[in-house]
Amino acid sequence: MSLLMKKKVKEKINEVPIQITWKEIKRQKVLLFWSFIIVIYGVIFYYLPLTGWVMAFQNYKPKDGIFHSQFIGFAKFEQLFHDATFLRVIRNTLGMGVINLVVSFITAIVFAILLNELRNKNGKKLVQTISYLPHFLSWIIVTGILHEALSGSGIVNELLVKFNFIDAPINFFAHPKFFWPIVAFANIWKETGWNAIIYLAAITAIDPCLYEAAAIDGAGRWARIKYVTLPGIKPTIIILLLMNVGNVLNAGFEIQYLLGNGLVQSVSQTIDIYVLKWGISQGDYAIGTAAGIFKSLVSIILIVIANMIAKHNDEERLF
Amino acid sequence: MKKKQLLSLLLGATLSIALLAGCGSKTDESATETSTDSATTTTEADAGETSNGEIKEFTAFFAVAGTEINDDNEIQTIIAEKTGAKVKETWLTGQTDKEAIGTFIAGGEYPDFIEGGSGTPQLIDAGALVALDDYIEKYPNIKALFSEEDWNKLRQTDGHIYFIPQFGTVKNEEKVCTHNDEAFWIQTRVLKWAGYPEVKTMDQYFELIESYQAANPTMEDGTENIPYTILCEDWRYFCLENAPQFLDGYPNDGSVIVDPVNLKIIDYNTTPTAKLYFQKLNEEYKKGIVDPESFTQTYDEYIAKLSTGRVLGMIDQWWDFAYNVNDALKQQELDAQGCNYVPLPITISEDVKNQWHNSGAVLNVSSGLAVTTSCEDVDAAMKFVNDILAQDIHDLRFWGVEDVDYNVTETGEFARTEEQRMNASDTAYKASNLCTYSYFPQYTGTSDDGINANRPDGQASEFYDALHPVLQECFAAYGAKTYVDMLGTNESPGSWYPMWSFSNSLNTSTPGGTAWVKIGEVKHEWLPKIVMANDYEGAWADYMEVYKNCDSQAFLSEMQTELDRRMAESAKFN
Repeated sequence: MSLLMKKKVKEKINEVPIQITWKEIKRQKVLLFWSFIIVIYGVIFYYLPLTGWVMAFQNYKPKDGIFHSQFIGFAKFEQLFHDATFLRVIRNTLGMGVINLVVSFITAIVFAILLNELRNKNGKKLVQTISYLPHFLSWIIVTGILHEALSGSGIVNELLVKFNFIDAPINFFAHPKFFWPIVAFANIWKETGWNAIIYLAAITAIDPCLYEAAAIDGAGRWARIKYVTLPGIKPTIIILLLMNVGNVLNAGFEIQYLLGNGLVQSVSQTIDIYVLKWGISQGDYAIGTAAGIFKSLVSIILIVIANMIAKHNDEERLF
Repeated sequence: MKKKQLLSLLLGATLSIALLAGCGSKTDESATETSTDSATTTTEADAGETSNGEIKEFTAFFAVAGTEINDDNEIQTIIAEKTGAKVKETWLTGQTDKEAIGTFIAGGEYPDFIEGGSGTPQLIDAGALVALDDYIEKYPNIKALFSEEDWNKLRQTDGHIYFIPQFGTVKNEEKVCTHNDEAFWIQTRVLKWAGYPEVKTMDQYFELIESYQAANPTMEDGTENIPYTILCEDWRYFCLENAPQFLDGYPNDGSVIVDPVNLKIIDYNTTPTAKLYFQKLNEEYKKGIVDPESFTQTYDEYIAKLSTGRVLGMIDQWWDFAYNVNDALKQQELDAQGCNYVPLPITISEDVKNQWHNSGAVLNVSSGLAVTTSCEDVDAAMKFVNDILAQDIHDLRFWGVEDVDYNVTETGEFARTEEQRMNASDTAYKASNLCTYSYFPQYTGTSDDGINANRPDGQASEFYDALHPVLQECFAAYGAKTYVDMLGTNESPGSWYPMWSFSNSLNTSTPGGTAWVKIGEVKHEWLPKIVMANDYEGAWADYMEVYKNCDSQAFLSEMQTELDRRMAESAKFN
């Protein structure tokens, strides 16, 4: 289905709003029933837990619960933003989040397009299968492999030394400057194949006639990618980008937690680790909640801004 | 179609019921949590119900690393038959103790027994633990664990006792052969090669390792040696950070030095000795003696490294490495190559007397075995703790089954054959046959029969026979019979000892606690940095600059207050 058609359908819907009648409701009762369950699910698992946000404004003690803890207003937020560690943690989260977003986004699209250009059906399937398998490994295994491979006596150092790129092994985990690239690399290795699937699906949905027409007009491979494939998957790209922008602050927890050590802690700790360390470990649930609220607010703001930009440029958008 | 609709209805219904049920139990729990005090008195009524031959199962979580045993473990079954109860033990994996405990508290559900480690104050704060005062009075074996003075030290600010320390309980005459604590360790092959020299200072220690490494860069099978490694993962970084207190000849107060004369707290992070110690490490790092992976390795990687016998020396606590590593070395017969570790009495200079080893029991007042509010039958739980302290069960726990795991000689002494010792160090055998309930209260010292030690490693004859000849030779060369003799022993430092039991229980609710966490963070980052630094002087100055910003004074003054409190408290009993 082309973009044009889609737009037309949309306009039509806008023009004639469907009348809500009892008959219509009756006709859709199964659908309504199912949506109802989803709504309940949403309320219970996404909205009820929000009452826990009260904790951020209290000197929360598990013994007293949220009803009897002392109310302290914004004191915990103040404490949070006067804490140099927290500011550093925000920087790390944003840094790694943006790197992950950009890198994983680009690699997935490029990978999907490259895969699509493969003519050998079996080769394509094989590559695709192998590439998305790492997605199913848990982080503890991936970090274990990384730790082994990148250690002083690991395979990476061995190769680098053998081929005379370096004189002595580098202990990659002892240098803060390597930490973000390692995290980005791990994310790419684990998720590229998986992320590419959705783009591949979008590419398959492009009308083959367009490629034929382009070929007849003398478009080579590059031109076809540039003028047919990319515009064809643009809506998908934008929707995914919007959704991922909201996830920037979810830069990760396991990978940084498992790969980090004392030497690189100034660049490795993310907001989630901060919450665990100060909230759960030290029993200061209030400050943990405050950090969590901050994270949610920033995420919402980011997603709204991104959506507004998309709206402004008349692109696909979330809302 | 009809069928599908029905199915979906059913699914929807079960989902909502499950949800409601989930919410329901939550509210119940908060209700029981608030009424802890009344619960402790009412449960006594239904205590008699257990004696109908059925075996009660309890759950336990210990916030320390450990190994789970098999469900059909032989000795666990025997103990269950004798006491009418068994405990399914789970251990810490991949988290810190505080994280694990914090998660339990957030969830509000606990196992029956819990050892919270440094998360114990949070458990008490959250009202998760049952006050044990009345129960302790009821069970003589438990009561006998500590003196009235010691029980008193365990009372929290609200006057109740919430946990029972498992260690530091000596019964009858003390029998110690192993040095269970921290030391500079070295492989016997290094000492043998050098002709068993006297090694008394840090400089001599590293000089010895350097010259051995130069002469023997590999093991017998060609594996390269690692001259010196440092474990610094998370809380285990004591292997790096607290040596300055020992080097100055003080005992293991853990987080500070206590001046025994003036009873003043001293910060060991900034002493001249600390600077010298890290400078030495820095020099050795540059020479390639310190393992470059030291600061990034995990505990598992460290233990794996030690188990290959490649590491010549390190600082560590015996309990932190020996149980795993010694068994592994024994199973691979690496002890014959001299890969076993012995402690050395090292200080900063020869005129400082070492205090790596102290005699006497050390009472840990910061954590221990506790019973939680989730336990339905506190009486039965405490009865079990009481029962497994009885001498016959205690022997089962630590010696095993008579004639299977040990033999009794004509004089009534317990002894093991080489095969039995092999079994006792074999992981698979331990999982299927042995059950020490190692984080339940227990004794060292002498058995009630007056002959045997409560544990095999305290039995002088058994201990010495179990040593590999290579190790015996090493001991003989230093005129030692035990690990303790290698260091010499000291009197118990004083009634404040050890201060770490207080700093362990600090959290960010006080300025001193916050400072303590910050200090930890700074040291985790900076100590490796200064060891690896090209310019040591500059790095040390930078470190001191950052350290100053941690408000360490707040921490030290809280330690001083606690020291004064402890001294005043003990004065009441003298």
